Amino acid sequence: MTKTIDKNFSMPKCFNERSKPSLYCPGCGQSIFLKHLGFIIDDLEIQGKTTLGIDIGCSLLAWNFFNFDIVQTHHGRSVPVAVGYKLSNKRRIVMSIMGDGGGYAIGLQSLLHAAFRNNPISVFVLNNTGYSMTGGQMAPTSIPGEITTTSPSGKDPKNSGKAFHGPELIKQISDNSAYIARASVSNPIMLQKMIKKTLENQIKNNSFSFLEVLTPCPTNWKTTASESFNFLSKMEKEFPIGEMTKNEK
Amino acid sequence: MKNDLTKIVISGEGGQGIQTIAKVLAESFKDSGFYVSYIPQFGPEQRGAPSISFIQYSTKEIKYPRFYKADYLIVLRERAIPATTTFVNSKTKVIFDSSTIRPNVIKQSENKKEAVPATKLAFDLFGKKNLNLIISGYLTKLFSLNEKAVWKIIKNQLQKKFSEKKDLEDNARNAFIYGYEFTSEKKNFSQPTFKTNKTIIISKNREREAFISPELCKGCGICIEKCPVGALKFGDEIGVYGNPIPEIDIDKCINCGNCFRFCPDCAIKVKKKSK
Amino acid sequence: MEKLSYITGNEAAVLGAIEGDAESFFGYPITPATEILEGWIRKAEENKNLNYLQTEDEIAAGFAVIGALLAGKKAFTATAGIGHVLMQDPISMAENERLPFVGIIAQRGGPSTGTVIYSQQELNLASYGGNGDGLRIVYSASSVSEVYYLSQKVFSIAWKYRFPTFLLTDGYLAKQRVNTKLEKYLKPFPSSKILREMKDKPTHLRNCYGSEIEFANILKRNIADYKSLINKVAESESYKASDSKYLIIAHGSVASAAKDSVDILRNSNVKAGLLRPITIRPLDSRNIRRLALKAEKVFIIESAFEQFARMIIFKVPEIANKTVKIYKPAEGFTPDEIASLVNEKI
Repeated sequence: MTKTIDKNFSMPKCFNERSKPSLYCPGCGQSIFLKHLGFIIDDLEIQGKTTLGIDIGCSLLAWNFFNFDIVQTHHGRSVPVAVGYKLSNKRRIVMSIMGDGGGYAIGLQSLLHAAFRNNPISVFVLNNTGYSMTGGQMAPTSIPGEITTTSPSGKDPKNSGKAFHGPELIKQISDNSAYIARASVSNPIMLQKMIKKTLENQIKNNSFSFLEVLTPCPTNWKTTASESFNFLSKMEKEFPIGEMTKNEK
Repeated sequence: MKNDLTKIVISGEGGQGIQTIAKVLAESFKDSGFYVSYIPQFGPEQRGAPSISFIQYSTKEIKYPRFYKADYLIVLRERAIPATTTFVNSKTKVIFDSSTIRPNVIKQSENKKEAVPATKLAFDLFGKKNLNLIISGYLTKLFSLNEKAVWKIIKNQLQKKFSEKKDLEDNARNAFIYGYEFTSEKKNFSQPTFKTNKTIIISKNREREAFISPELCKGCGICIEKCPVGALKFGDEIGVYGNPIPEIDIDKCINCGNCFRFCPDCAIKVKKKSK
Repeated sequence: MEKLSYITGNEAAVLGAIEGDAESFFGYPITPATEILEGWIRKAEENKNLNYLQTEDEIAAGFAVIGALLAGKKAFTATAGIGHVLMQDPISMAENERLPFVGIIAQRGGPSTGTVIYSQQELNLASYGGNGDGLRIVYSASSVSEVYYLSQKVFSIAWKYRFPTFLLTDGYLAKQRVNTKLEKYLKPFPSSKILREMKDKPTHLRNCYGSEIEFANILKRNIADYKSLINKVAESESYKASDSKYLIIAHGSVASAAKDSVDILRNSNVKAGLLRPITIRPLDSRNIRRLALKAEKVFIIESAFEQFARMIIFKVPEIANKTVKIYKPAEGFTPDEIASLVNEKI
């Protein structure tokens, strides 16, 4: 089937229009994030210098999302691939995108060590409080009481812990020059600013840069547009939005 | 001995309730005393790929879930056709939604084709979400299943939704019965009216121009939710997944940019008119 | 006497890799492979063209190797035992995406942490580990000088055919220091950028597919490519085998001992010979078949429980009834021992 999508009408220039409409579900927060990421890449004029590693989880759906090199890795492994790539190709701007499962469960070890070593890559973790690709299981980020397919009577913090706070943890072990922040798709203007800093900090300071983005998952949350954003506000109370600057000496 | 195995493929768009139809149908065959096997096509994509399910029923136990050629193919969206043509041979009866699919894209001889304009019927009479109930009703008749028994299964499936609103159940029941009693189109098919508009819809007044791309819009409704002045609402056009998409009241619009900022699919944009 | 190097297997692996144009190393310490990591880092401190990272675990090491390969670097890792188990995650990705992953595996006793000393039990894992069909190229070195030669060659083979490529050694080979002659592999195959950095023609590498048919087509292509390399890559060494009545089939360190045992047996007028596969995947079936069918009796000897025997007999099933399988998982064989084991059975 030939596609006749007119890219110029509203898409970032770095989008691969042949992959649109994307594979993401209607109302997916991850695609809102990817759009703003695209606009920032346009804005910084780095399309020709960027490489993206994606994870398993819904981020795998972005395998041909942009017109720059993308590699689909394994679950939790987009960070070590990005680390190895950046080390071997220092002039490239290297990004890793994954979900809260990839970042905070199966791939946490690699994420923490990349931050700890201050590897100059930009990592984006999309937090929707659940495992979406596999159909809505509990994640470290699920909020106490949250009902998922693996916490059918609500997440019990006694067994499963409270909600996992990634940026706050990473801040503890990262270098002073690292950029660490949390954004939400409920505020796209702030989201864009933080995406920009996450990329600029890699470019200018050659440092580890990390942004968690709160995103709705209407498919697994089974929410309407308005309910999605209501839950997102609830998430923002649990996961405060903002930059986590290190205490300077 | 005659092979009494019947193989059915049901396909459409993710989110259309294809799997609900399949589950209801399979359970009905089981309750009618047949051995059944039901398996959905599963892959990594959620809504991005066509939804397909495979059902078999027989008087003998069924162990293997998949097959190459179907006795019946039910296809509800043109986008699902490429993924399902492989199941069609000269004996396959193809039942399609004539309100969304042009009859000539169904490659099958005329006497093996029938159609139900289910999407149009759902929109016009019962609301878009009842498309799968019309089809379930139609298939109940087609496979000579007990209408009351099938309805009981549907009620069980949708119990949670029905318990919230009584009129939902009445409406669903009416859609199901309508489908059950519907005489399918044969040879004289209606023309698809529910087609995704290939061109960008432009609404303008003296100050502003709005662009909406039905080919990109998945109908999530976030722009409607985020419009501060209520200038957006669902309209008559349908988007890429066959869902209704928003229309804009350009005079109400204040060009705040929210719809553009929040749209996950780059499907809407408003700009000041350039003079 | 000509000039010899006095060197361990692990040192030979480092020197060989550098001679084979390797540029990047990622690893995590594990006995008996650790000296490859240490040795590489010492070399990298002298030579700015070499880079490395000691990662948080073997999984990260393997995926970082993949990152470096994507950038066009000849990159590799070295591991053993349980580290090799963890490494199957990245190797499986390399197998699917046809990445020229190179690993040096210094086998140790298993399962579990086992021993840190010696074994040939990682044959199956290197050959068929992961959740696929084992489209990998696996070499087994039988001496320190061969470790040097093959650790040059694996990079060329990996980049030429684009399948994960491994060099199996073991704790004896890795730690043993000998004076030996080092031989150069003369035709290194160049590497190139896999992510090509073109925005009008971006590279999009996938490993996850939506349907059986779509993925099956990828696998069919990979299998066809693998089959077509067999005749070009498979190799074996035979020693006094052409007229042998009793054919020993062994690989790696065991084959070294067996070679000496052939001489011992021949001295006592037992017509023994050795066939030593140099590539385990793919096996040099043609040569194995030719010699094994001729022999009166075949001895398959290995420091593992029937891992190697299964591979050989699968290729030449006719020899099953005349084959004696001798196995000592996680223990070595001396030449005298092999000679007397053969003598007992003839």
